[in-house]
Amino acid sequence: MIKTIKVALLALIGLAFTATAYADFTFVSWGGAYTMSQQKGYIDTWGPVKNGTTKVSVENYNGGLGEVKAQVESGNVTWDVVDILPVDAINGCDEGLLEELDFSSWEKAPNGDSFLESIPDNGTGVGGTISPCAAPQIWWTYVIIYDPKAFPEKKPKKMKDFFDVKKFPGKRGVHTWPQAVLEMALVADGVKPSKVNEVLQGEGGPDRAFAKLEDLKGHVVHWSAGAQPLELVSSGEVVMSIVYNGRAGAAILSEGASFDYVWEGQVLDGDWIAIPKGSKNKAEAIEFLKHATTCASQAEQARYITYGPMRSCGLDVIKKGEPWFHNGIAVLPHMPNTKKRLKKSILTDPVWWADHNAELKEQWAAWMAGNK
Amino acid sequence: MNQTAKGEILTTDGIPLKVSLRRSERINKFRAFALVLPLTLFIIITFVIPIIAMLTRSIDDKQINTVFPKTFEIYKQWDRKKLPTEEMYATIFGEIVNAEKRAIGKASTRMNYSRSGWKSLIKKSKRKFKKIKEGPYKEQMIAVDKRWGKIEFWKALGEMVDPYTFGYFLNAVDLKYDSNKEIIRQPEKRRIYNYTWYKTVKISVLVTLFCLILGYPIAYLLATLPLKYSNLLMIFVLLPFWTSLLVRTVSWIIILMKKGVFNSILVWAGVIADENRMQLIYNETGTLIAMTQILLPFMVLPLYSVMKTIPPSYMRAALNLGAQPMHAFYRVYMPQTVPGISAGGLLVFVLAIGYFITPELVGGADGQLIGHWIAYHLKSTLNWGLCAALGTILLVVMLTLYWVYNKIVGIENIKLG
Repeated sequence: MIKTIKVALLALIGLAFTATAYADFTFVSWGGAYTMSQQKGYIDTWGPVKNGTTKVSVENYNGGLGEVKAQVESGNVTWDVVDILPVDAINGCDEGLLEELDFSSWEKAPNGDSFLESIPDNGTGVGGTISPCAAPQIWWTYVIIYDPKAFPEKKPKKMKDFFDVKKFPGKRGVHTWPQAVLEMALVADGVKPSKVNEVLQGEGGPDRAFAKLEDLKGHVVHWSAGAQPLELVSSGEVVMSIVYNGRAGAAILSEGASFDYVWEGQVLDGDWIAIPKGSKNKAEAIEFLKHATTCASQAEQARYITYGPMRSCGLDVIKKGEPWFHNGIAVLPHMPNTKKRLKKSILTDPVWWADHNAELKEQWAAWMAGNK
Repeated sequence: MNQTAKGEILTTDGIPLKVSLRRSERINKFRAFALVLPLTLFIIITFVIPIIAMLTRSIDDKQINTVFPKTFEIYKQWDRKKLPTEEMYATIFGEIVNAEKRAIGKASTRMNYSRSGWKSLIKKSKRKFKKIKEGPYKEQMIAVDKRWGKIEFWKALGEMVDPYTFGYFLNAVDLKYDSNKEIIRQPEKRRIYNYTWYKTVKISVLVTLFCLILGYPIAYLLATLPLKYSNLLMIFVLLPFWTSLLVRTVSWIIILMKKGVFNSILVWAGVIADENRMQLIYNETGTLIAMTQILLPFMVLPLYSVMKTIPPSYMRAALNLGAQPMHAFYRVYMPQTVPGISAGGLLVFVLAIGYFITPELVGGADGQLIGHWIAYHLKSTLNWGLCAALGTILLVVMLTLYWVYNKIVGIENIKLG
């Protein structure tokens, strides 16, 4: 008996050693179809993975900087690359939770633009990265979808229609946090998409948005997880809902769901990839980020999800290769960052939201509590 | 027997007996201590230290005082009516320019809790102040960003002058400090925590009650049925217990939604009309139903194990002596199940009060309980001070409950079996 235990122990120790012989590399993202697109788009195609010297283990998380902060502050950093939202990329860099990157030697665009120049500003006025710690990933939007069967005659076309419960009766699906809803309310209130941030950030902006939201009072079903709104619309629980465009694209392209979009006033936001400060595989992680952000990798990812590559050269590759989606359907009609779409989009302002996040979240919660 | 001049008793090797005894006892004590040492260490590391850390975080406000020490010295003299003098501008200018980037990032996050906008203001200033070579600084700083000329921003710093603060606790109950550290209420549109506390406690109490009402008869059946039936019944109780929480939560969505199973059966049976389907999910009703079902085993199991120990002869005796069945049950059986009721009730209540995934998925607008806010501040605003304050209040609520319970029922009456 004791001998068996000894053998087992020795075997375990041996196993531990062989396991450390491979560099264990941890990539953290949001899970689901999105992580799958990253896996196929640039993890599986990364040199060290292909030749077997590195094993990338993929973990899921729910966003936010909580885990990163805990790891950095305790000095035990187990994540090497993490997919984060702009707000967190900015805050994390400010608080020293993420590694700063030097983009000077990263891949140029085919037209000769430097790495940072190949990330178009999309109306922000500042191209390139939003934070010295963040490498570009994708653009995604909050967009309205509806079930065409719910409106046999007149179809909703504008953001105004989402807020008009008389003309288009039925419940609306809205998420449980204030981001994007306030911007959409301003568009419905007659503000041009290009002016929304200015109005929202000006005197009384949020209050104007909340006043418009009164139109929806009593007609909202709130969702908190990305898969829920699709379920809400297809089950008829609501007639229209705000969704993540990638989720809607996947349902339409892969599962043949019959949703239609309202392409006006959609709120564009980015996802970035970064390295937690003190990552044990920092050099490798930088190489990984370089590979993940090549024009080819960015385009490859779009074969599996309808989020738009941040680097314009990625979009160019898709344009030339259409129909690009992995099952042979054109993907550009579902992309949030084509020129036509961007004209009617609002680019969410992560700096302003980082400032007002807590305040507006509390105000939004109070609004939800009164919305019954 | 050996004895010294003083009359102490000695052992054969000449050591006083007392000393010798103490020595051998010390070894025994040490052994006993060594035996529980791993457990003690485990409890200290995983339980005591985190709780102390949480308690200190809830009142610790040093992350800003260490970055702007001189500014706050001058701040204490400021009248808070007119814009500060050039001296204060010059001081904060110097401290921003010279501060380490990471420290100032943390400080700006902290300043932003008391007034939205500080975060980006400090960050922008840190970047642009490099161009300002010499004073006077006031006008140049306002030229960089006009927020430097707004007195509200300066006033907001007032609550941070001390290294320790009750501000986080105040925030956790919809209060705050004004610039003179007087306690005032939050502006009306931001008052959300008191409502959330009320909602959390209400839902936890209701869920505990429902669990008791539903769980008591089940446990009674389990304890009294012959073994072959009760085992089968036990599997029904445990099966959902072993199923993933998310699966059960999502199942409830499918059952309770408007075009879901339950509503459709009612429509089919003609109980309600097709256009009057009930809203049973994405509101408080859904939260109560789902949480009750998920927490039910935590009520049934302690009840069952207590009921199992009650000899059936007691009830028979009561009935024999002429008690009505209801009366016998109420006077003889139920008092003996109190330890189980208490254990189950406390267990369910404690779990319910910290719940957040299930309510968030099925609760719609009502789904954000206090656990949601702790998670939100932990992850999104990084306001760990407020998290700690909310957590501490939660802990105090639980300890108070425990204390009250101990006074009324007595803690020795709690039994898990």
